[in-house]
Amino acid sequence: MPAPRLTVYACAAVLAAAVSYGLLRMPLQLHDAVEEIMAADRSPGVWASFTSTIGETAYFRPLRIAETKLLFDLSGGHYFAAYKTFHIALLVAAFALFVALLPIETWTDAAAALFALTVFAGLHTFLGLVREAFPINHFLQVAVLVLVAVHLSRARPRTAVDVAANIAFVLACLTLESGVLVWVAAVASRLAGRRGISDRGLVVMTALLAAYGVVRFMVLAPHVQAMANASGYFFERLEGPEIRARFGAGLSRFSVYNVLASIATVLFSEPRGGVFVFFRALSLAAVPPRMWINIVSSTLTTLLIGVAVSRRTERRGPFGSAVLIFAAVLVASAAASFAYAKDEIMSAAGVFYALVAFWAVRELLARNLHRAAAALVSVLLLVAGSGWAIRTIGVAHVLRTQAFTVRNDWAEIPEAMEKRGTWPTEPSTQQLVLRLRDGALRMPVVNPWFIPRWADRVFDGDYF
Amino acid sequence: MRLRVACAAVPALIGLVVAGAAAPLFWRGGSLNLAEAAALRDAGEAVRLIASGADPNATYPLRPGILAAESLTPLEAAVGARRAEMVELLMLHGAKVDLAGWRRLNCFAQKTGATDVVTTLDHFAPATARASCEGISTPF
Repeated sequence: MPAPRLTVYACAAVLAAAVSYGLLRMPLQLHDAVEEIMAADRSPGVWASFTSTIGETAYFRPLRIAETKLLFDLSGGHYFAAYKTFHIALLVAAFALFVALLPIETWTDAAAALFALTVFAGLHTFLGLVREAFPINHFLQVAVLVLVAVHLSRARPRTAVDVAANIAFVLACLTLESGVLVWVAAVASRLAGRRGISDRGLVVMTALLAAYGVVRFMVLAPHVQAMANASGYFFERLEGPEIRARFGAGLSRFSVYNVLASIATVLFSEPRGGVFVFFRALSLAAVPPRMWINIVSSTLTTLLIGVAVSRRTERRGPFGSAVLIFAAVLVASAAASFAYAKDEIMSAAGVFYALVAFWAVRELLARNLHRAAAALVSVLLLVAGSGWAIRTIGVAHVLRTQAFTVRNDWAEIPEAMEKRGTWPTEPSTQQLVLRLRDGALRMPVVNPWFIPRWADRVFDGDYF
Repeated sequence: MRLRVACAAVPALIGLVVAGAAAPLFWRGGSLNLAEAAALRDAGEAVRLIASGADPNATYPLRPGILAAESLTPLEAAVGARRAEMVELLMLHGAKVDLAGWRRLNCFAQKTGATDVVTTLDHFAPATARASCEGISTPF
């Protein structure tokens, strides 16, 4: 393996190991996870879990429920080990699939790849892939399957590739609604000239998409609009009932706002969850360094991408393909956010943003520029790269803060569940929850008092 | 071109090395006693310490910078830090207050201005408790 590629792979491996270490230091999540684990405990089998929620809720994510049950059964009582191993396996797959998309032959390629790696891990949408698990992180699973589809589109065309691509699509759609991004990425790759997935394979996938659409939106859950998630709107955060009171239940200017806000959050790291946190802080004359770091690094990188795209000589080729796939995934993800803006929904688009950043930086490094232009690009790369480096380092800070929060959530069990009326009646399930609680409380986490005060101002955190 | 390559690679390399190799350093903290955990809203650690045998009614020393006192009981620390949820948690896990102790805590909470803590303490008020703070001394 050439030394530049080896260097990038080593850096990616070290970073993946560090994030995995953070996942292992974080207890299993309580909210949105313990109910799933209890349901797995009660379920007679994986198939029963798979079918249990179909038609019961506004969501259609049977595979996630089945996976939760499968891991529960395979764990032999070691639930933490089972769910964390699965999360880490997905994370490692995401890193490996991302780096494998980068052609690294020279040190120039390696420089662009290292830059892209910090964009990949430093972008705030990446946090949605690691900060939470329910107990499976379905956003990460979909991101991995979309990356698989892009790899397959680059493979030598054969029946096995078509079959694998369609399996990836089915798995993604049954995991999360964003799974349709696999189809989007496959079609965009084809439009970009990649023929790994054949036209026949794409026709089958399109038929599966149509079937999914009918089942999901017409048969099972015709009232998708009834989703009551909170979301941001300019400077404020609105609860579900407030949103319906102000904008009505159907498509509205709020839907348009969500789509545009979701695109902007990938390109500029603003708004966050639909809220313009930077401009809100600016109006209060209290912008913490982390917001400057986020917005400057993202805006400069988007600017560099824009310059590289506008000046590239080849319309097609790998750079053009990457841009087309990114644009398709970005727009499709944003469209899927029409009901509410959530940064996690944009996590797959964030991955392809990092990929486009690689091609843009590579182009700007390789191109012959006038002295002034070269100096300007150098400064922009230095500033943006420094911002991304800080954001990448900040992932560990976000994870340890989350670990503290999660462990504290468990301290209120069983009283909080009794208060909410969710405490199980079966003694065996009660014992299960208490075992999970004891395991979480035994884990040493860092109290924020031991963390320097500047860390909260420099590294990203939760805005809501 | 070399300058551009360096400008792209060096910050990224530093970031990746620090984020990767130095990750365990991010997870180094320190141990807390029960009063410190109560003051620092560490509900998880407070419950773990009690389950490990720590006395929720004992007095513990406090590190400088946590609260303006050298030693407090966990309940006093929770009230001093204005943590209503921690008061409730400690009471649920074995902390006890007699009439004199409750009056002292109640007056302490009133002095800090934390109305939610006062309200929480009211739930655990002994039947004969009076609200007057005359002649009651508070930790700070």
